[in-house]
Amino acid sequence: MWLVFSKELKELLRDRKTLFFMIALPLLIFPLIFGIAGFVGKQAIDKAQTKVLKYALVGGQYAPEIENALRQPDKFKRIELQSSSEYKSVIRDGKVDFVLVIPSHYSKDVLRDGQATIQLHFNDAGVNLVYRRVNKIVREQSDRFKQMAFATLGVTDEQQKALLKPIQLEKVNTADNRENWGEKIGGILPYILFIICLQGAMMPAADIGAGEKERGTLETLLISPIDRNKIVFGKFLTIGFAGTMTALITVASMAIWGFVLSQGMAVKFVVDFMAQIGGLDFVLIFLMLVPVIAIFAAVLLSISIYAKSFKEAQSYMGPMMILVIIPIMLSILPGVELKAGWAWVPITNVSLAMKELVKGTMDYFQLIAIFGSTLAIAIACLSFCVFWFNKEKVLFR
Amino acid sequence: MIEIKQLAKKFKVENPKKLSEQAQKDPRLKGRFFHSVKDVSFTCQTGQVLGLLGPNGAGKTTTLRMLSTALTPDSGSVLIDSQDVLSNPVLARKTIGFLSGTTGLYGRLTGRENIQYFAQLHGMSKHNTSTRIQELADLLELHSFLDRRSDTYSTGMKQKTAIARAVIHSPKLVILDEPTSGLDIMAAQTVLDFIRGLKERGTPVIFSTHHLEEVNELCERVVVIDQGVSQFDGTLDDFKGLANGSLSRAFLTAIQQQPASQHDSHTQGEG
Repeated sequence: MWLVFSKELKELLRDRKTLFFMIALPLLIFPLIFGIAGFVGKQAIDKAQTKVLKYALVGGQYAPEIENALRQPDKFKRIELQSSSEYKSVIRDGKVDFVLVIPSHYSKDVLRDGQATIQLHFNDAGVNLVYRRVNKIVREQSDRFKQMAFATLGVTDEQQKALLKPIQLEKVNTADNRENWGEKIGGILPYILFIICLQGAMMPAADIGAGEKERGTLETLLISPIDRNKIVFGKFLTIGFAGTMTALITVASMAIWGFVLSQGMAVKFVVDFMAQIGGLDFVLIFLMLVPVIAIFAAVLLSISIYAKSFKEAQSYMGPMMILVIIPIMLSILPGVELKAGWAWVPITNVSLAMKELVKGTMDYFQLIAIFGSTLAIAIACLSFCVFWFNKEKVLFR
Repeated sequence: MIEIKQLAKKFKVENPKKLSEQAQKDPRLKGRFFHSVKDVSFTCQTGQVLGLLGPNGAGKTTTLRMLSTALTPDSGSVLIDSQDVLSNPVLARKTIGFLSGTTGLYGRLTGRENIQYFAQLHGMSKHNTSTRIQELADLLELHSFLDRRSDTYSTGMKQKTAIARAVIHSPKLVILDEPTSGLDIMAAQTVLDFIRGLKERGTPVIFSTHHLEEVNELCERVVVIDQGVSQFDGTLDDFKGLANGSLSRAFLTAIQQQPASQHDSHTQGEG
């Protein structure tokens, strides 16, 4: 078995495609893609924030305060429109970025004239901060008018507070910091780990099953004096190893690049959070991953052995990704907890257990039950794979 | 001595209607089963080279796969020195050296690594492996490319390396499925010389081929398979005697067809 494993590993590490998916992709390409996406996103927001917005003001004479507030040449540029202009078309043509329409009943005296509605016409598709930037100016005026009205009525500051919000509901969170972050990060962790494991295992699985069949090396191996079960175990271990390594490299890469890109800013938070989780929980998270990887490896190898060619194997493996994503998504849904029936749903229960481990609220007896049941599924899948590998109609399709 | 008695093998056909028209007319297709090999029997003595002939699709490769234990026969027996191969396939694999129709080399390994891997699977020691590789590299002229990745090899290089891999463990019986197919004259000659060397050392060789001149050059015995049945089993002289010395006519006679007026598409050359 180890002989088959070491040979498969040697071949795997000499395959450029596998190396790309296992090492280059998580270590360089993923961070590069995320880095570029982040950079482009930040550039777009910066541009939207500093761009001089061209605007038209209709009814400006009713609100001289707003008219004055918009007189900031480094931020806004006023454009005069003809009275017949249609707002939608001038915005679409790029003549202006927004049109602000002030109603004739706009007044400082809100007690006498009531609420005024100002219309902001702009194209809200895509990245723009028009609403936020205009709202800032309007809100300042609104607050000032509110203060004036309260002063007229002789309402004190305390009364103002009470009037604006007669009852305040104060939130007292009994969850500690770890539980709070665990709920958020713990839900995403299995999603990332499972998908990456599966992705990393797919290519080697297709290669050492269907690929060998296609190249004719499988038949040669079958007539060597090695028990067929050992061939299966050797190949199974190789696929599992590839999946695990891809996941570990990805997590390490994310940590390293996260540190580099944030220039250490997030380090304190990460260190504090990690310190709360503790070594045992890390080991348990990894242990929970082991039977899941075993299931993936056994199923992928069974698919690969059945397929006639590398391409056929890949086409069969594609839908498997969806079958894995669905149970993980279930574990993220609100109200889905590691209780009752959910504890017996494969993959979902491991995802939920990982979340509980990160949160520090795991019932360890339940964890043993989940590990046991997942391991039983993994053994069943591997047994099927061995049975499958011994069938001539599968091997010589 | 190798004794093959009444070997038979059928395969389930998932959807017979999807088969080609010609395949659907094949009398071996019965219902959802294709009887690839129905009744093949022959013997091969120590030191003999046996040529396995037959048209494409006759059942030669299935027969050789059963001899190599890659496939399990539905019925029949294979005895090597009176030992039943089928009852202990792992043990049988230690005594058989098999070269399949494809060279079956691991492209990302060098030729030497390919051969070493199979030597390890046969439980050979490092010392014995390196001595044997040296010996085979001399015989098959492998030295110039043995340490290059095998995906850079020419067809001839691949075939010679595959033969070395098949016989690394000095098997009692060597089975070769079309060993010279697709090779140039030089490479084919090296392979034929190697088979001759095996014969001289007393190792029986069973090889399938479409080249009748190779049969004439190397074989003591000839077996012709057609429609999954061994139609002829005898000495080379008996085979030639079927058509007054003409090998291609003898072949056609064996498969019960009228001798073709022109060269037959299934066979090449004339002995």
